[in-house]
Amino acid sequence: MLGLFFILFAGLAVGCAISLVVQRNPLYSAISLIGVFIALACLYVTLAAPFIAAVQVIVYAGAIMVLVVFVIMLLNVEEEERRPLRLRSLIPIALMLASVLFAEAVFIIYFVQANPATPTRNVSDVGLTSSIGGGLFTTYLLPFEVTSILLLMAIVGAITLARTGGLLSPRAAVVPGDVVLAKEMLDREKYIDVLTPVSAHTTKEAKDLLGIEDEGQSPKT
Amino acid sequence: MDELKHLGLLMLGILVAFTVVMTLVAYTVLAERRVLGFIQGRLGPNRVGPGGFLQPLADLLKFIFKEDIVPDKSTRFVYFLAPIIATVAALMTMVVYPFGPDVNLPLLGTVRMVITRFDVALLYVLGVTSVGVYGIALAGWSSNNKYSLMGGLRSAAQMISYELALGLGLIGVVLQSGTLDLQSIVEQQAGHLGISGWNLIWVQPLGFIIYLIAAIAETNRVPFDLPEAETELVAGFHTEYSAMKFALFFLAEYVNMFTVSMLATTLFLGGWNGPFVHKLPWLGVFYFLGKVVLFLFLYIWLRGTLPRFRFDQLMTFGWKYLVPAAMVNIVLTATLQWLGAFDYLAGFLKTQTGWGG
Repeated sequence: MLGLFFILFAGLAVGCAISLVVQRNPLYSAISLIGVFIALACLYVTLAAPFIAAVQVIVYAGAIMVLVVFVIMLLNVEEEERRPLRLRSLIPIALMLASVLFAEAVFIIYFVQANPATPTRNVSDVGLTSSIGGGLFTTYLLPFEVTSILLLMAIVGAITLARTGGLLSPRAAVVPGDVVLAKEMLDREKYIDVLTPVSAHTTKEAKDLLGIEDEGQSPKT
Repeated sequence: MDELKHLGLLMLGILVAFTVVMTLVAYTVLAERRVLGFIQGRLGPNRVGPGGFLQPLADLLKFIFKEDIVPDKSTRFVYFLAPIIATVAALMTMVVYPFGPDVNLPLLGTVRMVITRFDVALLYVLGVTSVGVYGIALAGWSSNNKYSLMGGLRSAAQMISYELALGLGLIGVVLQSGTLDLQSIVEQQAGHLGISGWNLIWVQPLGFIIYLIAAIAETNRVPFDLPEAETELVAGFHTEYSAMKFALFFLAEYVNMFTVSMLATTLFLGGWNGPFVHKLPWLGVFYFLGKVVLFLFLYIWLRGTLPRFRFDQLMTFGWKYLVPAAMVNIVLTATLQWLGAFDYLAGFLKTQTGWGG
């Protein structure tokens, strides 16, 4: 029974992975990747690790890939064009690396079958939520906290990078969601970054409204 | 052989649960139209069958026989895939909800009223729900219509934002019960007469309100129904869908309503707990479905009462009020639990009133 499920989901995972690489449309690739994640989650369930399976679906399939799909949709990425291979010299190296990987897999299967492991403790408990939680907050507390600080740094870094210039500039003092009235926008000291420099396309009426002097042109009549 | 028998029983259980739930969902649609009619001082559909009783059947037939129009230049495969994802993701959560306690039936012996029971049932529900977003986002994209695309992104953004508040709102309950298994969470809420132990009453009022608001937004219902605001914005992700494919989205929406109501019942209203359940276990099923129907009525009531949010109000409310409130709830629950306040309360109730679990 378990073997049947393994073949089903492993086949699904491999099929989706191949489709991920072969597809030309980036959105189809993204959908294939979601398929891979879900198939992997199902494999985790058969390996008695339901918590990892659930987290795999929530985090990868449910959160990260949604953002990827969003970006692809918003940017409207064109279909990828097949260009002739330029670095032909890399093909033998790729083949070699692939064969090493394959040999590794064969060796592991052989090794596992030659030395059937005898579990030292009850393995069915390892994948349960309580044992994972207990491990994270006792034995592996330091790595866990370090990881959380790393993630915090990533968030702060992303915000810092996104906050330079434009509406999000610190000087602009406008955050998304704030209602900025056009009248307030005229307060040039406060929203200096919002008002882009006067360009060749700025109409005379707009300049009048903003109180910008027409330079190099005849003074107002 | 045993495995086959087990599998057969599972399939039977799924069949029964789906039939019951789908029937209830179909009649929710009818009830919605009738109750809305009542609220707005009109009759609602009452022509098909006695009192409009066969209206869901008529609606279904209409959906089946309508012409199925596929927009030219749509992305075919994804266009067909999207309603399937939405429906499957909506239906898949059905298998983990405990509909009742173990029941002794004449021929079958002891029957468990939950299709499958496992360690991370709550996380499973959240995970499958989060996959449902793809149905909407892909539907909007594949229709090759800018209104559909904008509508799809709008709905997906809303669902992602409120999913966070929804999940955080549930953590309080998880902290208290110390398990993610829905059946044990229900069993812990037994209490006096099956009522005094409900999480809602004593311990998680804030979590319940947060969950309820987030769940209404998550299912795209009034007052958060921007995804289908056909009076103000173009309907959105399902603009280009017709006939049975539209019916699938429609079905997914109502099944989602049903599942979030079931989750609310399970986590906050004591699931199948109620008076005399210990003597007559099959009463539990009726209590459970009755509580779910109460939630569905609340949905319809809200739809007849409230106006719609603006999109920026929706986002502001979700991120600036709901998420911080959920975090406060988590900290508060953890602190009170650490101080032993809940145990003290339970002991107090038991000694003073004879209540308690």
